[in-house]
Amino acid sequence: MKRNNMIAMILAGGRGSRLYDLTNKLAKPAVSYGGKYRIIDFPLSNCANSGIDVIGVLTQYESIFLNSYVTVDSRWGLDSNDAGIYVLPPREKAGENLNVYRGTADAITQNIDFIDNENPDFVLVLSGDHIYKMNYDKMLREHMSSFADASIAVIDVPKQEASRFGIMNADATGRILEFEEKPAHPKSTLASMGIYIFNWKLLRKMLIADDRNTKSSHDFGKDIIPQMLKDNRILHAYKFKGYWKDVGTIDSLWEANMDLLDPQTELNLNDEGWKIYTEDTNDLPQYLGPGANIKKAYITQGCVVEGEVTGSILFTGVKVGKGAKIIDSVLMPGVVIEDGAVITRALVADGVRIAKNTVAGKHNSEHITLVASDIREEPKEPVKETKDTKETKAAKDVRPAKESNAVREERSAKK
Amino acid sequence: MITAFGLINASDRISRVEGLEDYRPVGAFSFIGRYRVIDFMISNMSNSGIDQIKVFTGSNPLPITEHLGSGRQYNINSKRGHLHVLFSKHAYAYNLYNTGITSYKDNLDVIQQMPQEYVVIAPSYMVFTADFAELLQTHVDSGADITMLYHAVDTAREEFLTNYTLTTDKDRRVNSFEPNNGAAKSRNIFMDTYIMKKSLFLVLIERALKTSSLYSLANIVADSLGTLDVRGVAHKGYLASINDFLDYYEANMKLINYDAALDLFKPGWTIYTRTNDSPPTRYLETAIVTNSIVSNGCVIEGTVENSIIGRNCVIERGAKIKNCIILGSTRVGRNTLIENHVVDKHVRIDNIKKIVGDASYPGYVKRGDRI
Repeated sequence: MKRNNMIAMILAGGRGSRLYDLTNKLAKPAVSYGGKYRIIDFPLSNCANSGIDVIGVLTQYESIFLNSYVTVDSRWGLDSNDAGIYVLPPREKAGENLNVYRGTADAITQNIDFIDNENPDFVLVLSGDHIYKMNYDKMLREHMSSFADASIAVIDVPKQEASRFGIMNADATGRILEFEEKPAHPKSTLASMGIYIFNWKLLRKMLIADDRNTKSSHDFGKDIIPQMLKDNRILHAYKFKGYWKDVGTIDSLWEANMDLLDPQTELNLNDEGWKIYTEDTNDLPQYLGPGANIKKAYITQGCVVEGEVTGSILFTGVKVGKGAKIIDSVLMPGVVIEDGAVITRALVADGVRIAKNTVAGKHNSEHITLVASDIREEPKEPVKETKDTKETKAAKDVRPAKESNAVREERSAKK
Repeated sequence: MITAFGLINASDRISRVEGLEDYRPVGAFSFIGRYRVIDFMISNMSNSGIDQIKVFTGSNPLPITEHLGSGRQYNINSKRGHLHVLFSKHAYAYNLYNTGITSYKDNLDVIQQMPQEYVVIAPSYMVFTADFAELLQTHVDSGADITMLYHAVDTAREEFLTNYTLTTDKDRRVNSFEPNNGAAKSRNIFMDTYIMKKSLFLVLIERALKTSSLYSLANIVADSLGTLDVRGVAHKGYLASINDFLDYYEANMKLINYDAALDLFKPGWTIYTRTNDSPPTRYLETAIVTNSIVSNGCVIEGTVENSIIGRNCVIERGAKIKNCIILGSTRVGRNTLIENHVVDKHVRIDNIKKIVGDASYPGYVKRGDRI
């Protein structure tokens, strides 16, 4: 159903290197979140709910899974005749070599032909790795009524955190006067959410000019927006109120999951009028055994809980054995916690198996413990609280046992 | 290659499920929270490579049609496969005339047009998993005219009282086929599942119609035991036949035990259903949940014990649900005790604080009630 003449381009090529092992073979937008979702479900569902029918997803880093995931557009109800999700990885073009996307703006520049085919009046540029619910159609209405050349969604952030963001200084009408990337002394608390609406004709011209500019880093925040301000274009700040989170680190991904435990959370996923859609996994409903003890938890289908779960998020298909304790932790899809194991303040990556009576994480750790590979037996030294990097290494140390087993098997097979 | 189409039959039951069936046929009943009863039979067919499926609805087709939609959720290929809902033009108010035969007669041209050689007929009111591809192969290899699926039970005195039973000789030939009279403990319960050639099926429909307006497929097959080669194949695993209210309650409750559930849900044999896009369930600080099945989309603040909670339910603080099946979108208000009950969809319980049924015969709260 067509409601506006805007298409969306979702930037989904980033690795999210501060998510360490979670993004070894997976682009950040495909990382699991909130029990049953993947991060990119949020911008995609927002688009679908906002009446945007055509979505280009710009992928680059480790894109095999992400490409196949977003291609099934029926998941988000984007399968009507004029609708569709188009996967746009870098490609070889006639007369040119295969060029990788050099920056956020370049990713759009390299797909000008795709956008021209759709012939939209407006292009919405989004980031594929933020968690929020937003009506882009409302933003478009405001964009049109303010006669802006571009609109940027902004959110009020606490003053002490403002220097971590791109900060917009706007006048009373919402017109942006100045943009500062991570200012040491921020003049306002309006942070850019990396959500832009452009008038396509103008953006098209600017992208072509930017492409020729050898000094440009081909980035929206660093090049296109400053150039528009320099050209004295009308840039409108669209003020967003509500939940918005960029989950760039293990700590912030854990926190964003924990936010769902709060019954008063602004991120209401039970809203029938603005559903977040995702893959249908056909798992059983949740099984809570006779010995289950569940307090403050967010649990999804496919889980079997026979132990204790407190302050934790259990993703699809997680098994928690008898006498096991899960405290303040995030267990990603398919994690198996065997009987008696104790997990505290940890984020356990997809499919990891934690052996009987072992321990991971620590209740007073400064950072969240990332457990990215199996814990096979009682480790000689219990997994200690460390920074993400060290922790990843610690967890990896358990691997050689598995590898040597494999080698052994191979050898015996050869005999 | 053996080709077959599937036929899911709704109307050969002679009993009724009190309450629940006022709103929908058994096939559309909610099952352990997230499924509908008919999902199992359609998934069995889909997993067996049968992707042309005819679903016969009884006098109330809406709930089934609504649930099945395009059938895409059952992994049926949208070009070569087809899930087809068929209506009976003569939905008699008097249930006795609503035999499967009547609905087949109403749709005879549809059955005649099917290009497949064989037909697999299965019921929409039973829950089990079975590999129909394997059964088809057995049927063809045996050279039988009809193959029937049965399940040996030793509870035939108390359960399956309106089902048919059968006995077989040493060559698996069916030598008796009659309704369960409850006289014996051990019986082979017929699972209302037949395999035969489409051509024979059409002959049987015609013969049944000539014999009596009340004749079902079972009646005419029973009459034909002397002339046709009818064989039985035993089924193992979970089986429920939802003939009455107690059957429904017990069929659900048996599956609260995860090991028992694994007798129905087999690896590599996905049971498909329509997704609701509900978020995960949120358990609050005060929640106490043990020995239960909970669907997605719920908010649980109270106590849930030995129960099944459907999608998008709210169990408020201090409420206690024990030995209950709560269907979807129901809200149980603060400090309410509900025991031994089936609570239908979209119910709100605010004013009555105690609803306790008999453990041997649970109570029922009707759909959309405000109490």
